[in-house]
Amino acid sequence: MLRRTRTTKKLAKRIDMQYFARPHAFRRWRFWLSVTIPIIALGWFVTQRVQGGQKVYSSGQLSNAHAVFTQQCALCHTTQAGGFSAQVTDKACLTCHDAPAHHANQTFTPQCSACHVEHKGSMPLHATSEAACTQCHANLQTRDGQPHYAASITSLDHKHPEVSALRPGVTDPGGVRLNHYLHLQPNLMGPDNKRVQMTCDDCHRARDRAEGADVRPAALPDELRMGIHENDRAYMATPKFATNCASCHSLQFDKRFRENQVPHDKPEVVHAFLLKRFGEYIAAHPNAVHEVSPPVREIPERARIPRVARNAAEWVQFRVDDAEWLLYAKTCKQCHTLKATSGPLPEIAKSNLTTRWLDHAEFDHHAHRMMTCEACHTRPASSRETTDILLPGIETCQQCHRSQGPTKEAAEGRCFECHQYHDWTKAKPTKGRFTIQQIRGSAKTVVPEG
Amino acid sequence: MLIDHTHRKWFVGSTVGLAVATAVYIPYALHAPQGPRGGSALGLAFGVVGFLFMVFAGLLGLRKKFPVWRVGRAQSWMRGHLWLGLLSFPLILFHGGFHFSGTLTGMLMWMFLLVWVSGILGAALQHFMPRFQTAQLPMETIYEQIDRVRGQLAQEAGQIVEETRSALDGEVSHASERQRALSASAGTQGGLTVASGLQANQQAGAQLQRFLDEEILPYLDRAGSHAMNLSQSAKAQKMFQQFRVLLAPELHSNLDDLENICEEKRQLDRQSRLHKILHGWLLVHIPLSYALLLLGAVHAVVALKF
Repeated sequence: MLRRTRTTKKLAKRIDMQYFARPHAFRRWRFWLSVTIPIIALGWFVTQRVQGGQKVYSSGQLSNAHAVFTQQCALCHTTQAGGFSAQVTDKACLTCHDAPAHHANQTFTPQCSACHVEHKGSMPLHATSEAACTQCHANLQTRDGQPHYAASITSLDHKHPEVSALRPGVTDPGGVRLNHYLHLQPNLMGPDNKRVQMTCDDCHRARDRAEGADVRPAALPDELRMGIHENDRAYMATPKFATNCASCHSLQFDKRFRENQVPHDKPEVVHAFLLKRFGEYIAAHPNAVHEVSPPVREIPERARIPRVARNAAEWVQFRVDDAEWLLYAKTCKQCHTLKATSGPLPEIAKSNLTTRWLDHAEFDHHAHRMMTCEACHTRPASSRETTDILLPGIETCQQCHRSQGPTKEAAEGRCFECHQYHDWTKAKPTKGRFTIQQIRGSAKTVVPEG
Repeated sequence: MLIDHTHRKWFVGSTVGLAVATAVYIPYALHAPQGPRGGSALGLAFGVVGFLFMVFAGLLGLRKKFPVWRVGRAQSWMRGHLWLGLLSFPLILFHGGFHFSGTLTGMLMWMFLLVWVSGILGAALQHFMPRFQTAQLPMETIYEQIDRVRGQLAQEAGQIVEETRSALDGEVSHASERQRALSASAGTQGGLTVASGLQANQQAGAQLQRFLDEEILPYLDRAGSHAMNLSQSAKAQKMFQQFRVLLAPELHSNLDDLENICEEKRQLDRQSRLHKILHGWLLVHIPLSYALLLLGAVHAVVALKF
């Protein structure tokens, strides 16, 4: 039987009543840790400050573009003389970047750093948030009253208007007749009398691959050159007769010259060419003046009665007349709109081919090269009218691009992906003013004020 | 500290505070052109309020140092420490837009996370463990007195063994009345029997002394001593059972006392372990809190500059 009993009196006798006043390992540890850990933390901070300068204050890694001067906070964080604040001002940004504003009639211009957020790590600074754009475009106001663009756009997914070229009433202003439906039919007669199946690529190629392409970004009108990031792979070259049409559409003008063709040029140039060629021919073949040619029957039901010349000059004139009749009544007319003039030669309407459909947005065909043309351009195969605009609509873009972009397992869909804020056509060159030492130098390197 | 219905007001207040802060933060985070940033007006507001809560939570240590200060009940300070400290972390997360980047700011966020998590762990331990200890350790004592009590147990064990040996040897000076009676009765039961009984008793007494010297005292002397035989209840029971066979039933109560002393030592060891768990988090929580407040103050000044 247990004799030990645990009465309160017995237990109390065991205890040293002054125990709380005596040192104890746990309390000692707590005290010394409470002293040393803050000291270590402060020591760490001082070490960081001494070794890395003001970098220790950085709220995050700089963007790729600015990472090179991570050590030189004062390049951007400029302090006014005698001032305490060293917050980034537009002046610091404009030292290196001349970034013209969006529109002259915008109601306010945000600070550079309001849209281009630094210290967010390795990311492109142009990847601005949607809110940066929608702070104006969600309820667009302009200085001169009514905005010219959609007044309320909140994102690509919500309230984004249709691309301007596809809005009601807009047609292709092109002056060259083209029937996409016919051109995409199987078994078309191609060069060398071979049957061919044409594809988009036969006529539409990116500028870097288009033969003889001369439409470079620099050749675009200013209002179409909002972006500086255009490259030759982004946009399709304008189809040209010589490279895209001539192999099938012959400009033959007389059987005497077999495969010889008139130049694809203005009527005056063609006329001069014909006079020259026929003149040379009759000089070489004087007996041809009296030959009677069979009626010209190239145009069904419209046979031209042959005329007999009395001399070489008259022969040349008759032959040139015949050739031009054939060209302007059939060959050229097939694609071009001809207008009668008071003179002997018609006027050919300008081809007016649209070089760029998206006036306010960027597009890069190269970035979409993994897709078939028909994946986005669904209408060419059934389009019979030149006025048809065969651009894919915004819904097509929205199938892959989402506002949330990669985070929603979709392609980037924030505004910056297609739109530019700065009107780079108005950008002025900036003059560099830093040395390598000032950009890469240590914290002690003096950065010039300005 | 028991988190019970008396915390209701603090709980409701903190929940409402968090709900309001979240309701303000979400539209701000979604629509701010730059995203949520510590430097924006709202970001600064979150930072200032969060830091004030942190400072208040940190002042608890000072309040405990000066219990006579008439600045509210210590219990209220403790509740404020618990709930405002809990609320301060989400506010600071809102302040920084959930970013843990930057040299100083990143360090501050990780330190705060550690302080916050250790605080929550501590609150949970303080809520559950004292009741668990009361139920599991009926022989617990004041933690700081464990070493002293251990010494007393060793002394007590020595006395019991000495009493037992005296009884076995028939030494009246050290034996109790009952033990003397036992020894006397043993002597009247016939010459041979008494003689062999005395011899057996001498051997048992020597064995008990050896058991005290080799097992019990080393076990009682050392704190923890998990590897020793007596640290395991089942093993100890077997060892004492062997002595019960050697000793007369009348002396079994002495063995029960010795066994009870070993049991008390086991409980003290367990109490010591539990105490380290119950209070060990403070060794992380308090020092890091001071470091956090120190660097947080540096950050506040620097943030105003940049």
